Amino acid sequence: MFLFNSNKMFFLFILFFSTFISISSNTWFGCWIGLEINLLSFIPLISNSNNLLASEASLKYFLTQTIASINFLFTILMMLILMKNFEMNNFILIMMNSSMLMKMGSTPFHFWFPNIIEGLSWFNSFILMTWQKITPMIILSYCFNKNFIIIIIIFNIIIGAIGGLNQTSLRKLMAFSSINNLGWMVSAIMISQTLWMFYFFLYSFMITIMCFLFHMLNMYFINQLFINNMNFLIKINLLINFLSLGGLPPFIGFFPKWIIINFLINNNMYLLTLLFMMMSLIMLFYYIRITYSAFMFNYLKMKWFKIFIKNNYFMMINFLSFISVMGMILSTFFFY
Amino acid sequence: MNNMKYSICFISFIFLFMMSMLNFIFMIYFIMNKLVILLEWEIISFNSISIVMSILLDWMSLLFMMFVFLISSVVIYYSKSYMSSELNLMRFIILVLLFVFSMMLLIISPNIISILLGWDGLGLVSYCLVIYYQNLKSYNAGMLTALSNRIGDVLILMVISWMLNYGSWNYIFYLEFMNNDWQMKFVSSMIIMAAMTKSAQIPFSSWLPAAMAAPTPVSALVHSSTLVTAGVYLLIRFNMLLLDTFFLKMLLLLSGLTMFMAGISANYEFDLKKIIALSTLSQLGLMMSILSMGMPDLAFFHLLTHAMFKALLFMCAGVIIHLMNDMQDIRFMGGISMYIPLTTLCMNISNMALCGIPFLAGFYSKDLVLEMVNFSTFNLSIFFLFYLSTGLTMFYSFRLVMYLMINDYNLMSIYNLYDEDYVMLKSMFILLFMSVISGSFLNWMIFPYPYMIYLPFNMKMMVIYVSLIGGMFGYLVSNMNIYSVNKFIMTYNLSNFLGMMWFMPNLSTYGLNYYFLKFSQNLVKNIDLGWSEIYSGFGMMSIMKKNSVLYNIYQMNNFKIYLFSFVIWMVIILFMMLFNI
Repeated sequence: MFLFNSNKMFFLFILFFSTFISISSNTWFGCWIGLEINLLSFIPLISNSNNLLASEASLKYFLTQTIASINFLFTILMMLILMKNFEMNNFILIMMNSSMLMKMGSTPFHFWFPNIIEGLSWFNSFILMTWQKITPMIILSYCFNKNFIIIIIIFNIIIGAIGGLNQTSLRKLMAFSSINNLGWMVSAIMISQTLWMFYFFLYSFMITIMCFLFHMLNMYFINQLFINNMNFLIKINLLINFLSLGGLPPFIGFFPKWIIINFLINNNMYLLTLLFMMMSLIMLFYYIRITYSAFMFNYLKMKWFKIFIKNNYFMMINFLSFISVMGMILSTFFFY
Repeated sequence: MNNMKYSICFISFIFLFMMSMLNFIFMIYFIMNKLVILLEWEIISFNSISIVMSILLDWMSLLFMMFVFLISSVVIYYSKSYMSSELNLMRFIILVLLFVFSMMLLIISPNIISILLGWDGLGLVSYCLVIYYQNLKSYNAGMLTALSNRIGDVLILMVISWMLNYGSWNYIFYLEFMNNDWQMKFVSSMIIMAAMTKSAQIPFSSWLPAAMAAPTPVSALVHSSTLVTAGVYLLIRFNMLLLDTFFLKMLLLLSGLTMFMAGISANYEFDLKKIIALSTLSQLGLMMSILSMGMPDLAFFHLLTHAMFKALLFMCAGVIIHLMNDMQDIRFMGGISMYIPLTTLCMNISNMALCGIPFLAGFYSKDLVLEMVNFSTFNLSIFFLFYLSTGLTMFYSFRLVMYLMINDYNLMSIYNLYDEDYVMLKSMFILLFMSVISGSFLNWMIFPYPYMIYLPFNMKMMVIYVSLIGGMFGYLVSNMNIYSVNKFIMTYNLSNFLGMMWFMPNLSTYGLNYYFLKFSQNLVKNIDLGWSEIYSGFGMMSIMKKNSVLYNIYQMNNFKIYLFSFVIWMVIILFMMLFNI
């Protein structure tokens, strides 16, 4: 855990603040500066001289983000020329949206995303899946080509659902899950920023639990789930959180999806709604498949193999999981 | 019974031949005095609708009857020798006579109900004749023949029920009224379709080569000159009704394609009878197309001359098949002109008549038809279909002649070909005589004044050009024998398409039931036996997994490809923006 490494703490700090620079900037150029600082501060967080995969991932991350940034810069300069005549057309929006979609790892520019996440630790994956999405998403929300974005949303949810079906790596699985959720988030931001914020917070919350749990159990592949000798409570936590992430009704993960579906129907996007629901079924299917076979069918219990988890982390996980399970039910009580 | 002097074959021959002569004399009389006789027998009459049996005697029906009687008499005489070892010869001859009888019914009646009488009789009797050799192949061919013709029967029945509206089925009386009625267009289209089934035009042509499963005398009578021309004859009778309709133009295209298709397929075929059958199909296409150009008399002229030499060709083929120990593959034949000169003489003359060598029967009709095509205002595709098919006729005829007569005998090393079966030869000589003279005598007799044809030199010579080229090709192709490298393998798919009559036999047999059977098989497999798992959870899962694997293949790329594709995407969008697409 590099939270205790002062160098990395420094870069983490810059990472957070570069995002604030970007999203509170008045000009496109300011956005771009924030993005660049963000990139340059994330790379030291990824790279680890002991791990070859991490170094490779940092290089790949650098390349993709740089190309996206270059194109973004190019586009805003083009806009500078075009805006002299107050001319704005769809293509320039598509170009700008594309570069932002590349940055957040959305389909069809997502191919780097599962590749890179394979070389990252769980904490870095967590940052990549949550925090790193904020800036591009906010910039996307400033101006977008709606038709293009709808096509992108459809791609996102389908690729996220289908692509994860055959994966054995948990990080890749989470990456595809994040691609799918990106579809939800982009559609949320298409409707309103507060809706997006709502979805994003709850999604980040659930991702936090998952990543933290996997990090604690040191799990990277599905087969590790079968052979680890775990506490019953941890197993239940994992199952419940997966269900919540997939959006099964009584859990809190359902809440944002419910609201987005509601808004989509209000905006007459029925086809999109149908696709969302169908694809989240597939997502739920592969979440359940992990946990089901891990905890109910193929559970190999090895008696000499024990893992010890520090109690304070465990308390925290339990608390977060409690929110994840009961959140939606509890929130109803606030209104009475 | 066969050894008796007055066998049933001989008696029928005499009877039919006398009938033919009688018809000939009447025809001369009718044509000289421009006489038409219509007899009507009212069978039943109710509510102002009368069902009548009517008989129309004019020069056309008498001439056609004369030809049918002549060919059938000759064919029956021929089968005395050809079918001499047949146990049920009586049944065979009776079937042929029944066939002739239904043909007569068809020829003489201008009334659509009495036409149906003959028409259905033709279908039934031809089915019985096709399955005469009782084996599986004959049954299949017979079923294909019968069912294809059944479509035509159904259409005629629909025509009958529709013509109830007009108060009478004697359409000949109401031509002027019917021509102005738009509903008559549908009726005429049905008649055209019915004629297309009988004459084996393109969607229905698969049955004609299949019907070669019948005995060769039957092929000579039924599937070359009479049954298949019934459709043409029907359209000739109905011609006034059809002029300037859309369906007639469709018929022109379809029959032109039939002509072309059959010509090509004949070149790929190695079965002696099927080559001749495909040549019949090609000639039927010629008749139909000249008919649909609005020249029914020319179509009738070609119908008659073609009947003569095509029946002769089939009879020669029958002799050859007999001599070859019932072998029909032309690759085993060759050099037979040395041993059976008289049959070869007949064969060559009928082939040349088919090609239209001057002053034989086919020359008068075919040359006239082609020149009228040149003379009329149809487009280039029709023109090319006609002339390519003429070249192809020459092509397959020469190929056949070369295969049969020029090379060495390929079947057995010890052989004795015997050409002194005078029963067959005599019957063939009658037709030989007719196929030499019938062109000229019909030409002088049935056209009151000659066609005026005025063409540039090269267009006039066009027939000769294509014939020479076709003959040359036929010679070149025949040089390829069974031992040489088969070049068809190199263009396997194309040869398959062209040699299989453009896949029509498959389409009209397996094509009709394959997909239904496949569908029902899937239903049984997936729903009855599989508890519809394929259509629910399991199928969904397998589709998803397949897509997932597909997606993983895309994911498994070089990293630079991802980056480069992104850049290309941006460049494309940029250019679209700059050029304002």
